[in-house]
Amino acid sequence: MEIHAYEKFWLGAALLLIVGFIATVSYGAIGAGVEMIDDDGGTVDPQNLDQHPKFSDPGVYKSGPNEYDVYVIAKQFLFQPGTSEPIRVPANSTVTFHVTSADVIHGFEVVGTNANTMAIPGQISTFTVEVDGPQEYGLLCNEYCGSAHHAMEGTMKVVPEDEFNASATAGGA
Amino acid sequence: MSLEPETENTIREDVPDRPRGYVVGSAPDSIEREIGHDDFDPVGTLVLIFGYFLILVVMWVFMYFVEFLGRGMTVIG
Ligand SMILES: [Cu+2]
Repeated sequence: MEIHAYEKFWLGAALLLIVGFIATVSYGAIGAGVEMIDDDGGTVDPQNLDQHPKFSDPGVYKSGPNEYDVYVIAKQFLFQPGTSEPIRVPANSTVTFHVTSADVIHGFEVVGTNANTMAIPGQISTFTVEVDGPQEYGLLCNEYCGSAHHAMEGTMKVVPEDEFNASATAGGA
Repeated sequence: MSLEPETENTIREDVPDRPRGYVVGSAPDSIEREIGHDDFDPVGTLVLIFGYFLILVVMWVFMYFVEFLGRGMTVIG
């Protein structure tokens, strides 16, 4: 079969484009370290979250130098913490979220970022993000969960380190 | 009765090289210039396709590196 020179060029360019797509996604996984959220978080009894060592008192826990664990319960129609009190984390830290649901499937999304997961009853969704400078983010539920789904939102405050430490020693975190 | 005019006075005298049944605006029925397989160069099409290719590449780079990776707080673990 005779293939025209222009067609050969176009076929080669199209193949190169596919290689380029795969290369960028590989770079994202290896170079930028983008991870998928899987079932590594394990399971939990959604009826007895109050007996869980951390979900019984959800919030921010220090887990290492400049590393924090945030336990969040999503339920109809609020995040705990997040809705009635903001999630407060220090700037320039590594934060691991552990999100679960007490009733139905919810979403947990830090608005405008890639920090986004499903909150599934019985399942703990665990993911780690790198937090930059002080900023206030919105939280929202992005999985339809009932009649007040549209009102299910919250706040996450990234506060300066010294401010966070001051409030932590004062008794709240 | 035939549809094709057959009388001598329907052929115009001032254009003598028009054959019988000639349709105004039709292509010549003889081969004008014969070219080989690779002599046909649709440069305009090539430029168009190359432009399309370039748009794809630019849009992909923008979408992945600016809109996705540049969005802050990306899941890393
Ligand atoms: Cu919802």
